[in-house]
Amino acid sequence: MNTTQQNLDKLIDTLEERVKELNCLYEVEELLHKPDISSEEIFTELVKIIPPAMQYPEACAVKIEYGDRTYTSDNYQDSPWALNSDLRVNNRTVGNIRVCYCEEKPELEVGPFLVDEKELIDSISQRVSNFIMYQKLKQVFNRWASTKEGMSGQKPGEWKVVLELIRRTDLDLYGRISRKMLNHLVWKGVEESEELLQEFAPSSTYDFDEVSGESNIPLEKRTLTTSNALIQKVYEIAVRHLSNEELLGLIQKWMQQDKTAFLVRAVSTKNTSINEIADAIRRYYQLTPEGMELTPSSLLGVRAGLIRRIFSDQLEFINIAKNYIRVTDFRDLLPRVIYPANSHGKLGGKSAGVILAHRILRKAAENNELLQDIKIPKSWFITSDVMIYFMHFNNLEEILEQKYKDISEVRKEYPHVVLLFKNSHFPPDIVQGLSMALDDFGEVPLVVRSSSLLEDRLGSAFAGKYKSLFIANQGSKSDRLNALLDAIAEVYASTVGPDPIGYRAERGLLDFHEEMGIIIQEVVGQRVGNYYLPSFAGVAFSNNEFRWSPRIKKEDGLIRLVPGLGTRAVDRLSDDYPILIAPGQPGLRANVSVDEIVRYSPQKVDVVNLKANRFETIELRQLLREFGNEYPGIEKLASVFEHGHLKPPTFNTDFAEDDIIITADGLIRNSRFVEQMRHILKELQKAMATPVDIEFASDGNDFYLLQCRPQSYSKYDAPAEIPKNIPAERILFTAERYVTNGQLRNINFIVYVDPDGYAALSSRDELLAVGKLIGQLNKTLPPREFILMGPGRWGSRGDIKLGVSVTYSEINNTAMLIEIARKKGNYVPDLSFGTHFFQDLVEANIRYLPLYPDEKGIVFNEKFLTKSPNALYEILPAFSHLSNVVHVIDVKQAANGMQLNVLMNADEDKAVALFAPPGSIASTDQEFKLQVESTGAEHARWRLRFAEKIAEQLDPTRLGVKALYLLGSTHDATAQAGSDIDLLVLFEGNEQQKRDLQNWLEGWSRCLDEINYLRTGFKAGGLLDVHLVDAKDIKNKEDIFSKFDLIDKSGIRELPLHQPEKTKK
Amino acid sequence: MADKSFNAFEMAQTQFDKVADMIGLDQATRDLLRNPIREFHFSIPVRMDDGSVKVFRGFRSQHNDARGPSKGGIRFHPQETIDTVRALSMWMTWKTAVADLPLGGGKGGVICDPHNLSLREQELICRGWVRQVYKNIGPESDVPAPDVMTNAQHMLWMLDEYEVITGKKQPGLITGKPVGMGGSLGRTEATGYGVIFTVREALKHLDMKPENTVASVQGFGNVAQYAIDLYTQMGGKVICVSSWDQNDQTSYAFKRESGIDLQELRDITDRFGGIDKEKAKEKGYEVLPGDEWLSQDVDILLPCALENQITAENVEKISRRVKLIGEGANGPTTPEADKVLERRGIFVIPDFLANAGGVTCSYFEQVQSNMNFYWSREEVLDKLDQKMTSAFWSVTNLSDKRKLYMRDAAYVIAIERVAQACHDRGWV
Repeated sequence: MNTTQQNLDKLIDTLEERVKELNCLYEVEELLHKPDISSEEIFTELVKIIPPAMQYPEACAVKIEYGDRTYTSDNYQDSPWALNSDLRVNNRTVGNIRVCYCEEKPELEVGPFLVDEKELIDSISQRVSNFIMYQKLKQVFNRWASTKEGMSGQKPGEWKVVLELIRRTDLDLYGRISRKMLNHLVWKGVEESEELLQEFAPSSTYDFDEVSGESNIPLEKRTLTTSNALIQKVYEIAVRHLSNEELLGLIQKWMQQDKTAFLVRAVSTKNTSINEIADAIRRYYQLTPEGMELTPSSLLGVRAGLIRRIFSDQLEFINIAKNYIRVTDFRDLLPRVIYPANSHGKLGGKSAGVILAHRILRKAAENNELLQDIKIPKSWFITSDVMIYFMHFNNLEEILEQKYKDISEVRKEYPHVVLLFKNSHFPPDIVQGLSMALDDFGEVPLVVRSSSLLEDRLGSAFAGKYKSLFIANQGSKSDRLNALLDAIAEVYASTVGPDPIGYRAERGLLDFHEEMGIIIQEVVGQRVGNYYLPSFAGVAFSNNEFRWSPRIKKEDGLIRLVPGLGTRAVDRLSDDYPILIAPGQPGLRANVSVDEIVRYSPQKVDVVNLKANRFETIELRQLLREFGNEYPGIEKLASVFEHGHLKPPTFNTDFAEDDIIITADGLIRNSRFVEQMRHILKELQKAMATPVDIEFASDGNDFYLLQCRPQSYSKYDAPAEIPKNIPAERILFTAERYVTNGQLRNINFIVYVDPDGYAALSSRDELLAVGKLIGQLNKTLPPREFILMGPGRWGSRGDIKLGVSVTYSEINNTAMLIEIARKKGNYVPDLSFGTHFFQDLVEANIRYLPLYPDEKGIVFNEKFLTKSPNALYEILPAFSHLSNVVHVIDVKQAANGMQLNVLMNADEDKAVALFAPPGSIASTDQEFKLQVESTGAEHARWRLRFAEKIAEQLDPTRLGVKALYLLGSTHDATAQAGSDIDLLVLFEGNEQQKRDLQNWLEGWSRCLDEINYLRTGFKAGGLLDVHLVDAKDIKNKEDIFSKFDLIDKSGIRELPLHQPEKTKK
Repeated sequence: MADKSFNAFEMAQTQFDKVADMIGLDQATRDLLRNPIREFHFSIPVRMDDGSVKVFRGFRSQHNDARGPSKGGIRFHPQETIDTVRALSMWMTWKTAVADLPLGGGKGGVICDPHNLSLREQELICRGWVRQVYKNIGPESDVPAPDVMTNAQHMLWMLDEYEVITGKKQPGLITGKPVGMGGSLGRTEATGYGVIFTVREALKHLDMKPENTVASVQGFGNVAQYAIDLYTQMGGKVICVSSWDQNDQTSYAFKRESGIDLQELRDITDRFGGIDKEKAKEKGYEVLPGDEWLSQDVDILLPCALENQITAENVEKISRRVKLIGEGANGPTTPEADKVLERRGIFVIPDFLANAGGVTCSYFEQVQSNMNFYWSREEVLDKLDQKMTSAFWSVTNLSDKRKLYMRDAAYVIAIERVAQACHDRGWV
């Protein structure tokens, strides 16, 4: 009770102090704005205004010195308990304000004063200083004006008047301008000026002896007179070569430039710290509150410099950003950046991306009403070097070397690293900065996102490798601060997590000095019950890689939208579905029938639980039942499901009671959202000269941009490079319509439903049996190692003649679904584009490809599909009667040990399926090339080591082995994290030996797989791919080459076996 | 080669021929009933969103209207063929006849894939369809309804176009309208309740008391839930239901020997009839593989999910105790399995009799629309009961009298009724 009272009193005291200070500032402003007030009047008033703002007005006295005059308050007497603040004009001290207490008062923050009081006095003196400078300038201009009047008709001398005024008010400036004039003359090739340049140079101003010698004569005076004389000469020459207008123009230009030169210097010098840059910007705007005109070139220079220092030194980025990001943006940004003293850090890719995108849209909004009012959430930034600072502070430096450890160790140690980071302390200045940030944010949920220098750079997408954490930010200040620090530490720890390190290792980015910036964003949203969530959020891509209708073009884009936090739209969730919209074709929906719409509508929602202080996934139904009518913007998202129909909500709809389906129909049909999105994506793609993806959210009222980066591809949907000049016999099919990006490697089985055979089936039961057979194969064949090819529309229900009748569960293990449209007469049937289970395919990353075999220029190797041995007899003998219709092809068997690879490139609208030896396709695309150059070699190296070890330990006599060969990716040094080791065994033993050999190798296979898992996180169940060849079939090495279709002999290598004595004769 | 391939219309004709042989139908009647009596083919030009014009093909087949206005859905299907439409319109004739509704059979369609069409374009197709055929349809002649890829919205666009052209309010033109816009109450329950009305009568016929019976149900969708609802109200006990699990991509059977509690399960079921298996375990249900519903030791099996569920492979798993199968789903039994059921003497209520509740309710919607007076839900369900009961007994009596398998009896009665109507009108 008592303490509460005390706290309250203290609070009220503080508030009262603030009110006094504000009053004081207000009075100062009033005073300075009185028209025609003299400096004398000001100072006389000022000494009266200040004391009441202090804590003890009665004991407070003020003295102001300005020029040769002193103003004091009535009771003034000097004392040691004082605050001082200089009045400075043009960097020179011209006076001083002194505030003191006449008697001793209790010790507070600054002597007996509060920090706030010190700041108050400083701002008053600064304000007064500016005023004095303004007054001075005004006098100068007045004088100039009157001189001009006096000289009317005498135009030729105008520049002289200006110059004279400069000489009188600012000697330094006068010197610099004169020097520039001389340079200008020399540059113009005026001969006489060149001689002058010699004399003008500072080094020649004094003789070396004079400076270093014994002479006691002050040098200053001589310099000045010499300079003055020289300057006179400069202008004498100038008058002869330049017109009056030219001279005046030059002088004015240089005057302006000179005012901002310090800013140019600050950003172009490498070793200026962020602190100094921030100061320079502050000063620049103090001098010229509206932003002084820089010349266009130096303006761009300053922008580029600031971008390089604060955002990114990537040239492509600077090149684009300098046209959009202004100096004012940095003025607004820097106060919300947290950095250590002498920081040279940057904000990182994510921060840079979102700020750039916002500025691009702001510029585009000038001509496009749709782009107005796009917001970005309030954000604070931590520079990248804080992470290192934090680690130094806690003596955690050795963790930086984590990345060079073996990945298995990284994986094992990671949990401890996280623990260590979370239990470390932040340096006090950073904590203070974060505390300010929290005061600025207030009690709203925050998201702490990593913004690494590697992440989201133009050209390299590092999508989702580092963490983003949500914090509820509720409760006492210290709780909130601790939670924030904890989240930041965890994000820092994620830089040394196994996934990003493995990813970087694969791409040769390990040695890049990784520092991570942090962006702390306010979570866009509103409170709904105990939850906090946006009305809707999601991601959008300017290129649509998942077209569900042939009418949708790639450039129509794609939006994945969910109610609540956008986390559910970013990830592919196989048990829930976001709403898909193609902004260029909003009318063409992925789901059309009521059943589809209902089935593929979002069922869950991600929220921040304010009460439990955490991020949660909850059932949408339950949320709506409890708080349906409070949900922001629900009327735009919901449809009412009633008697099997979907209706738009009405005024009468009760969102808590009615059966609500999230369709976003209102948003699509009755708002500008889709149109707005289309424009946003278009503008960003245009400005950044590359397809982009963005994250967005809406709180129900405003639209926010959360993130923007070049459109990223996951490993599997990057465009594949289509090789040229593939031998015809290696191609299974080609496609040139509706191709998406991606590649499928190492396909071992093809399930081909022959269109003619299927059409010839005469009973419905037989047709249905084909669907059942496919379902069985789906369960039997190794998941993701087979593809399904069939006529027309997979998943037909009613008229199943048009396509095999399957449900999603009967095809969910395939790597790819192919629909074949054969010409009938002059009519090519429509394909389904997977519409029956389109969203399931997308979420499970099952590729879809339509084939038009009868079109010109298309290859379709029907013979291979129908004439290869049909493995159906062995795999599912019960269905042998359908062997005319369904062909199951064991690719390795039918194609001499090769595997099938499907390479797809949406940019070229081309796809090809080709046979190639295992592992040989890996290096066809850009990304994997990189990988080979960097640590692909590492994957191959240890595999090779172990292959040699196997050979060494293998007892050839006991196991009947004649020779052992290594081939494939390990041999070519193209092995990746998931590659297996291909071994070829020349076998000459009996059945028992064969079994022993297989068991022996199986043991190795499993061990190696475990090792590979620890290194890479890949688990395959076995790492060895053993090809057993009967030695009788092989006469010499050439036989092996032909058998395995190895084009050149370097494609294989013999591993020396351990030879027991007796066999060595 | 091509004629050997599967053709829905040929299949329907073959089926008809079989029954025609059975009842010795005269050649003229056969000729009449083997083909639709009227067929319309037309083009629908549509101005697309991008300004281009695309022409769509539309159809309407009226197979027979001797017993009353043709009735049948309109399909939007990318590979619609006239043969499919013919086959389905013939099927509608038998379906209305077996339920003894004063209606004929029809079907229509447009070759198009709504996945490639915006709503505006779909609206124009609907309106275009009506413009081409409005003279040949109407509350007194041919009444369309929703079907594959069409729904209430499409019906309202079509109705509106028709009313604009004719200048009159005629909600009886079309069925499948939303409640409040000419739709009928009770539609959601109709099929499931309909199944149980026939089951109730079948139990009387088998001289069993509902309260002494136990049932197992496949599916937990709309039809299954309302079937269970009514069956338990009658005193029966359901001990097992199966349902599809979207996450596991498989189905599970949920069993409780003491009987399942419908409401309890509904509370843990998603919109698509998927029961939460963890919560079910907590509530004391045994979670078994999906096909276990079939082998339960019960008196009644109610397949209310998909087609082709009782097959030659699993038919033998059916318990010896099973006396009655009510086919709530369409075509749940394959012909091979059907033969086994017939041999074992299991009483089967064939699908197009057992699930005729749906089409009967459509008929009620049409009647109410024509009167412009709408009944309460109870009134609808009460009339449904009467209709289903009398339809059931007609088939059963015939089956008894002529020693026919129920499925055959249902066909015979349907075709005979239509043939009789044609004859009475002096057509043949």
